[in-house]
Amino acid sequence: MAEEDDAFLMLSDLDSEDSIPMFFDKNRHICYLEMMLELLPSPYQSQEINRLTLAYFAICGLDILRSLDRVDKEGVINWVLSLQAHPRDEAELSNGQFYGFHGSRSSQFQPNDDGDTIPNASHLASTYCALSILKTLGYDFSLLNSTSIIKSMKNLQQRDGSFMPIHSGAETDLRFVYCAAAISSMLENWSGIDKEKAKEYIINCQSYDGGFGLTPGSESHGGATFCAVASLRQMGLIEDDILSKNVSSCFINVPLLLDWSLQRQAATDGGFQGRLNKVTDTCYAFWVGGVLKILGAHKFIDYEGLRKFLFTCQSQYGGFGKTPDQLPDLYHAYYGFCAFSMLEEPGLSSICTELGIPNGVYPGF
Amino acid sequence: MDSGEEKRTRIPFKERPDWADVKPVPQDDGPCLVVPIAYTEDFSETMDYFRAIYLADERSPRALQLTAEAIQLNPGNYTVWQFRRVVLEELGVDLHEELKSFDRIAGENTKNYQIWHHRRWLAEKLGADAVTNELEFTKKIFSQDAKNYHAWSHRQWVLQALGGWEDELAYCHQLLEDDIYNNSAWNQRYFVVTRAPLLGGLEAMRESEVNYTVQAIRASPENESPWRYLRGLHKNDTQSLVEDSQVASVILDVLTSKNSHVHALSLLLDLLCHGFEPSEDLKSAVDVLTPQSCSPDLALTKRICSILEFADLMRVKYWNWRKSTIPVQSPTCQNTDRLADLCARMSDL
Ligand SMILES: [Zn+2]
Repeated sequence: MAEEDDAFLMLSDLDSEDSIPMFFDKNRHICYLEMMLELLPSPYQSQEINRLTLAYFAICGLDILRSLDRVDKEGVINWVLSLQAHPRDEAELSNGQFYGFHGSRSSQFQPNDDGDTIPNASHLASTYCALSILKTLGYDFSLLNSTSIIKSMKNLQQRDGSFMPIHSGAETDLRFVYCAAAISSMLENWSGIDKEKAKEYIINCQSYDGGFGLTPGSESHGGATFCAVASLRQMGLIEDDILSKNVSSCFINVPLLLDWSLQRQAATDGGFQGRLNKVTDTCYAFWVGGVLKILGAHKFIDYEGLRKFLFTCQSQYGGFGKTPDQLPDLYHAYYGFCAFSMLEEPGLSSICTELGIPNGVYPGF
Repeated sequence: MDSGEEKRTRIPFKERPDWADVKPVPQDDGPCLVVPIAYTEDFSETMDYFRAIYLADERSPRALQLTAEAIQLNPGNYTVWQFRRVVLEELGVDLHEELKSFDRIAGENTKNYQIWHHRRWLAEKLGADAVTNELEFTKKIFSQDAKNYHAWSHRQWVLQALGGWEDELAYCHQLLEDDIYNNSAWNQRYFVVTRAPLLGGLEAMRESEVNYTVQAIRASPENESPWRYLRGLHKNDTQSLVEDSQVASVILDVLTSKNSHVHALSLLLDLLCHGFEPSEDLKSAVDVLTPQSCSPDLALTKRICSILEFADLMRVKYWNWRKSTIPVQSPTCQNTDRLADLCARMSDL
């Protein structure tokens, strides 16, 4: 450790005055993820319910860094599978509950001795993360009971086309339309979504300024805009590289969306902001950058400016923080890696932008 | 501050006499530890007792108290929230009281989806009774964090589901007086103008809203929010945008001032592509800004792109691309281009 620290200091002294390395510090990032995989510090306990999501950041992150060999694949796969909710019989699939994956043990309860079913709390986002991990680790999906996931997912779509993430007691918005689309896409089965309704909901979320809000009428937001565009792309409702085609007949306003997205790169520091007149933040390099990528407009991004900004958010502990003055966290670290992969940083595996996961292709190999 | 106090004085459940009959149920993590979390003792113990109560389906006052403690530590846990609602209903607790006691928790935890969902559940149960309280509550949040996304979506839900629109436009105005760059307030203004039942809709409001927006632009032309709002006022009706004399006049004012020209030029470009006929003043304002390297015969739209390539350096490739697509996207621009082309050739002869 001590040696590594010294080497790090030397490098950073050479590269900049304020000891932030101005290169993608891959080894340090690997160390960071390995550390997190082993034990998350206690501040993460308030996100305990999303443990599958935290695992997704660590494992898919290691794959982007081409270091999956450090993961006990068998063990992780079994752990993920152990979080799946299973209906006792076919009839239960139509009881209104969702049979996907639990986010963590604390929401997972086995039926008690009397055989009463305890309502399962499996969740669309956890299911998306579970499948992402399994796919990244090369798990054969034909071994998975995916019919119960898809069939019961139907129960979650609302009349307005949006999705609820869990069968009762939760908010509905674009995030879960995205999760449902990504799940269908990974399982290659679209029978769990009414695409027309989902499309209608997405259209209703496009704001007057061209971006998308999480719900109809809410303020445009980088994350919501990603969910909208990536869902449409996965559902096959917008074409790849749409800018090179005739966009005037499209059911969403593409020119305004393009203009809104590009204006999110701030002239002041080169980073992306998630909303108008807000500070720039690491994760929007992926959310908004990803939108531009899907639209075929990433060539308009000022790559150098964005790289420089991301370097200022790179942490001396490895990983990325939200802004230059913050400690790293798994979420911003992961989307920082995704952003660098999109910027075609050498030594990283490429990602499938719509799914937000590495696609197992290592360019140059 | 409060929570620090609580932490120090917290008595573990195992030392509380009224919990002596409960056997905690530890979390069974299985053999493989993937991203295990270093739980604090308080956290583990509280969740262990929660599991016990939940599995026994104990709907009692002490169960209600336990869920409150569990929520403080683990606000994202759906199961805890859901169980709290079951207990609240079973015990017939006055929901106004529940709302009051939650002001405190939500006050500290304003970026958690489940807390807002719980508020919505309560407000739904209380109906019209809850309107004033919820509008005041979100106002209080905005006084500290004017762009809180959760609070805005809660407020929009309250307005749509329960009403209370009467003072909303005035409230938006007040927020914009405080900070004209607050895009959440601009968005809320649009929400009110387009959806408030008593205002008559976008078309009825357009003229007065354009007035308001143009003033805001004149005050700070570099502020992207009112420019986008201005376009929004003419949403799906490019003809009315092109014909709005106030729009043309604010563009001219900004282009002839020393302020940032980016947003004005960008809007002018779109207007021209939709058949807008620029005045001589506007043309000469663009002439003044045109870089010397530009051929004077170049079409107005293309010259605007050239100016933007310099003025909006971060997006130089975008403006360059826009320049290259102009003839394809707009028949009007194409004509202008052809005309410019023709003029150039004629002068060559
Ligand atoms: Zn962020």
